[in-house]
Amino acid sequence: MNRPDSVNLRRDRLKKRLREKYRAECEQELAALESRADYRPELGSFIALFRDGFSPKTVEERVGRRVVNLSCLQAPVELFHALNLHPYKVFGGSAVAGRMAAPSLPALVCPMIRAMLGALELENEAEAARPWVLPCTCDWMAKLGELDGLCGGQMTGPVHRPQLPRLKESPASRKRWLEEILALRAFLEHIAGRALTRRGLQKALLIMQEARRAFTRLILLRRAGRVPHIWFVLISNAFFLDRPENWTLAVNQALPGFTQAAGAPLVHLLGSPVFFPDFKLPRLLESAGLAVSGDDFCSSERIFPRNVAVADPSESGLLTALAESYHQGCLCPVFADSDRRAHPIVEGAEQGAAGGVISVVLKGCHPCDLESYSLEQSIRKAGLKFLRLETDHGPEDSQNLATRLEAFRHTLEAA
Amino acid sequence: MSVRVGLDLGSTAIKAVFVKEERLIWQGLVATAPGQEALAEHLIAKGLAESGLDKGDLQNPAVTGYGKGLYAKPGKVIDEISANALGCFTLSGGLARTVINIGGQDVKAICLDDQGRVSDFIMNDKCAAGTGRFFELAARLLDTPLEDFGRLSRQAAGALELNSTCVVFAESEIVSAMARGAGREELIRALHFSVARRVAGLAGRRLAGGGVFLDGGPAQNEGLLEALQEELMIDVQVLPQPQYTVAYGAAVSL
Repeated sequence: MNRPDSVNLRRDRLKKRLREKYRAECEQELAALESRADYRPELGSFIALFRDGFSPKTVEERVGRRVVNLSCLQAPVELFHALNLHPYKVFGGSAVAGRMAAPSLPALVCPMIRAMLGALELENEAEAARPWVLPCTCDWMAKLGELDGLCGGQMTGPVHRPQLPRLKESPASRKRWLEEILALRAFLEHIAGRALTRRGLQKALLIMQEARRAFTRLILLRRAGRVPHIWFVLISNAFFLDRPENWTLAVNQALPGFTQAAGAPLVHLLGSPVFFPDFKLPRLLESAGLAVSGDDFCSSERIFPRNVAVADPSESGLLTALAESYHQGCLCPVFADSDRRAHPIVEGAEQGAAGGVISVVLKGCHPCDLESYSLEQSIRKAGLKFLRLETDHGPEDSQNLATRLEAFRHTLEAA
Repeated sequence: MSVRVGLDLGSTAIKAVFVKEERLIWQGLVATAPGQEALAEHLIAKGLAESGLDKGDLQNPAVTGYGKGLYAKPGKVIDEISANALGCFTLSGGLARTVINIGGQDVKAICLDDQGRVSDFIMNDKCAAGTGRFFELAARLLDTPLEDFGRLSRQAAGALELNSTCVVFAESEIVSAMARGAGREELIRALHFSVARRVAGLAGRRLAGGGVFLDGGPAQNEGLLEALQEELMIDVQVLPQPQYTVAYGAAVSL
């Protein structure tokens, strides 16, 4: 983007100033995790993934594979791994990074998108052009490329935009989604400089199956109130920062340590995703005396879609099964209506013995905001308490949120 | 140690009450400023002097409000929503089922069960539109003490409409209306309805059956009460000294 020299000069100075603050913000969060009473060395490996660097470039060095940036989980990561590529889920949770992008964006932009674009600009280390996969899920994701252009244009590499059919039930939408998967495959093959093989895809499916299995064990412990929310968020967020095999190993090593039940009223969460370093809500929940037994965030419990059910082991059969898994298994509010979403949310809350559900909407996340009103009805009808919070990554509303969380705990205790 | 003390460290004022059994025997407030704990201690000392009590008569205070974490050694810490519910329920003789509280920087609607416990609530998010801050700004712009708002509102001859409850945009809207010759009385009445619409929009979704009470500092404003009743289309009651309900609730929670 062409800007006057004075504007560029200011941005360069701002970048320099905010980069230091961004690093300090991240380090502060990591140090706080290490100083917790329930910190264990097995959890340290997840902290290390962030502390040692979580930019695409650092992750590329760590995994020893070419990294392809991915803006949303709707693209099957198995395809990337099958082609020896590493999908890097670009994320944003930093209020400081958001300040970098804010001057170029609409005021009511989704805070996660603002933080994501800001972090990209702050972390830009004059690296080679990196490929991008931008699934057109919510409106912000669909416009991400244009928004990036407003923020200086960090997306310099080739971009592929899978178009997702929003209506799931029709055969036409299944067919169309499969076509998108094939187009994604072609894009990734071009990036990898090699063709997808049945064997490579099978291996990737197995690796992800193991990851899903470890994660399911973690979720079951969480349902029993044994996994503090803040650790669950950290572990989930770390998934894309290392090879999935390494992450799975680390999760399996961490599992036996989650032995202590919370002993606090349990809640189930839903709404906009939560990414490092924005651990404001996990901290406030703990301070308010609430524990989390489940959630519906695409940044944590929904990072994996449902299992890939393979009926036909041919390459075409594997691809069809993969497409089905991601399309039908996706419960993002953009693609699943509230009736369809309400059932697993209520079921998850009941499995986790949660007395209430808290909807946390990032201001500007329209799908989550919209659905929270209709979900509220279903949730209350199921006899669960409901609280709606709207926030962003900044700390200013902490006291306001704390007040409501404390009062919500009292309503759960009184019920 | 027979007297219970409630402290509400709010965003605009620190309120303190002394409660014997369930009777409010002293109340006082001071504007919030840095050094909230010291201000609260001074307020309690003032209360002791005015009530003739000894320090030994007082229990360690129950603390609530935005500044509750700033009080070093409270007897109890309670969130302001629960304190508000308990205070209003007790003072209303168990009649309150919905409490609408307008504080310095928030608006809450609280539903109570028949024990005075919070059964549900709703509160504004990160925006102070339609709160006590809004009235403070209006009072400054109109150069009129807040205490006169209720009386002046009733004297309004004509109807005027203000759309904004945002403390930033309302300023320009008020100034523009003044420039067009709008009278102070009409402006104040319009302000009340502007705030009442905002509060009704929030509270209208959380009205339990039974008595509806308005409290917080702005509840002393009769003009606002009238506007709120009109917008909610139900009767709303106000307890005596509604700015102390939350502090009272904290005290009786001990």
